Amino acid sequence: MSYYLDLAFNGLVFGCMYALMAVGLTLVYGLLRILHIAHAAVYAFGAYVAVIVANGTGSLALGLAASIGAAALLGMAIYRALYQPLLAYPPYVPMIASIGLLVLMEDGFRIAFGEQGLTFARNPYPTQLHELAGLTVNTVQIAIVGAAIACVGLLALVAYRTRIGIGWRATVSDPAMAASFGVDAIKVRYLNFAIGSALAALAGALIALLNNFVEPSMGFVVSYKALAVIVLGGLGSLQGTLVASLALGLVESYGTIFVGHFMDRDAIAFLFLIAVLIVRPQGLAGLKTA
Amino acid sequence: MIPATDRRPYWAWPLSALLTLWLAAVGPACAQVKLGFQAPLTGQAATDGKSANIAAEMAIEKINTGGGVLGQKMELVTYDDQAKTEEAVFTANKLIGQDGVKFAVSGSYSASGRAAAPIFQKAAVPFISAYGVHPDITRSGDYIFRTVHLGPPQGRAAAKFLADNLGRKRVSVITMDNDYGQATFEGFKSAVDRFGIKVLGEYTYSLKDRQFGSIVASVKRDNPDAVYVTGYFFTAAPLVSQLRSAGIQAPIVGSQAFDAQKLIEIAGPAVEGVYIVGGLNRDRDVPELKEYLAGFEKRSGYAGENVGATVYSAVRLMADAIGRAGSLDPAKVRDALAATHNFPHLAGELVSFNSLREINMPMNVNVVKEGKFRHYAWIDDLQLLAPPTE
Repeated sequence: MSYYLDLAFNGLVFGCMYALMAVGLTLVYGLLRILHIAHAAVYAFGAYVAVIVANGTGSLALGLAASIGAAALLGMAIYRALYQPLLAYPPYVPMIASIGLLVLMEDGFRIAFGEQGLTFARNPYPTQLHELAGLTVNTVQIAIVGAAIACVGLLALVAYRTRIGIGWRATVSDPAMAASFGVDAIKVRYLNFAIGSALAALAGALIALLNNFVEPSMGFVVSYKALAVIVLGGLGSLQGTLVASLALGLVESYGTIFVGHFMDRDAIAFLFLIAVLIVRPQGLAGLKTA
Repeated sequence: MIPATDRRPYWAWPLSALLTLWLAAVGPACAQVKLGFQAPLTGQAATDGKSANIAAEMAIEKINTGGGVLGQKMELVTYDDQAKTEEAVFTANKLIGQDGVKFAVSGSYSASGRAAAPIFQKAAVPFISAYGVHPDITRSGDYIFRTVHLGPPQGRAAAKFLADNLGRKRVSVITMDNDYGQATFEGFKSAVDRFGIKVLGEYTYSLKDRQFGSIVASVKRDNPDAVYVTGYFFTAAPLVSQLRSAGIQAPIVGSQAFDAQKLIEIAGPAVEGVYIVGGLNRDRDVPELKEYLAGFEKRSGYAGENVGATVYSAVRLMADAIGRAGSLDPAKVRDALAATHNFPHLAGELVSFNSLREINMPMNVNVVKEGKFRHYAWIDDLQLLAPPTE
């Protein structure tokens, strides 16, 4: 029994990771209809900043803060420099630019920080074990789940209880109407990228802690999983994304055991995606949009 | 009347003639023996590519300061194959057609070696695969040699080590799903009956995985006496960490590719006590090895490991074979390579090549002790380690 609970918790951790990444992607897609593939580079960037600042200052807290702050700025810069000029073109144009930026940044990390990757100088967290309902879990795993719940909760709070949040939701639903009510669409876009990127950086930093390892290509694998998640969840739907993240995490965790011999773990994820889309083409919570 | 601008100075022709004669005279002395070299300098395998490149350059320097080959300096012609098949083919053709190399070494992964070998075979260029372990590489033809143990002998050695040295018979096995992982595991499986090992569970993962929660949970349920893992440092480090974090205390035996300082850097105390079958024996009291390790660390910024050591030895072996052949004729060099006997490979004594040009050589087992790789045991049953002959 504890075996299946182990797998379930494992799936939960995966799911929370995907959620932190996918929220940013959904936010961008919902607002601008762009597939922000360079999001994976922001994730890796967050991880690198966290390691470098933590090693340099000796404080993990500073590392995390720097990582989130820097990534938010990077996200906004990416919007301004890459997407804004390309908004007039069909959506695949900014998407291709995004892919280009991802490749560029990945190789940039490799050139700047070495092929072998970086590790934390002091990182006792992955080996700090705790007993939780009969399971053995480590500090970082708890942090991931906690962070995901906290961030999503906070996001929901802001979105539904604050003026900014209402203005943002209005802009997503109907930009023209929102603008006529005095909501600055540009500010909303920057906010979107800032929040999404901050979450990705947090995910990156947490994974860096969990593995005690940051490498240039760490963004790649997560990027296409996160894309699968937002498609699965129904493009643009935040709730759908969250449900899809968890579902994918669990499917992967259990799936690896049963089909791991002849199928790549990532293939399981995509098979699941295909299966759901055949039954429900709009995704789990997707709205049938024109 | 020739315009002033068209008139050549009277000394132009004699000077050209003199220059030509001089070049013809000193030309052969300036001629260098080119050694083609493929390595993954960029891309997923860039880490090993960097090691391979540095090691190859060190070997060339060592050869040249020792007088070169047959009185000529050796020159490395390096191409980045990105560990990709297409690039390996492209750069192999370039080396042969454009650079005209007569000898080549692969400092790259199996996929590249496998693609490049037939091309070098066809061009009758002696080719050594330094650490690419796919069996098909040497099957490409009689000009293709390999200076590293194949996967299957490594797997068989691991089985012997687990049973005879550690006395552990109930084993869970975690393998990488690439050629190297699969081949090593096949070798392991072929020897389990002979050593009385029971495989409790077989688990596979992909090169890009860093989270092994499901596998770890399954191994925990198996409750084995030992765990055998194949992988590279970037998969092994998280995997071993996660195994230990889950409370699995059983000894862990890793494959050759664990053997990199980065493994210890990433996983820290978690890899203490891990055994590595096929790791480089850094404790050997051999001057050239000590010189190599010191030089390598200075140039690369990290400690030397298997990849670099075997590439270094492959380059040294090629030069040695040319010397023994006494000629730059590729056919004679090929024969000299095949006749190699007791060559001082950095990893041990390369006893000989078999009929498929695979090595007969003892295998070292390391253990991670106090954050360093220390020699633990030799597997010198050459019959057990005997590579295939076809």
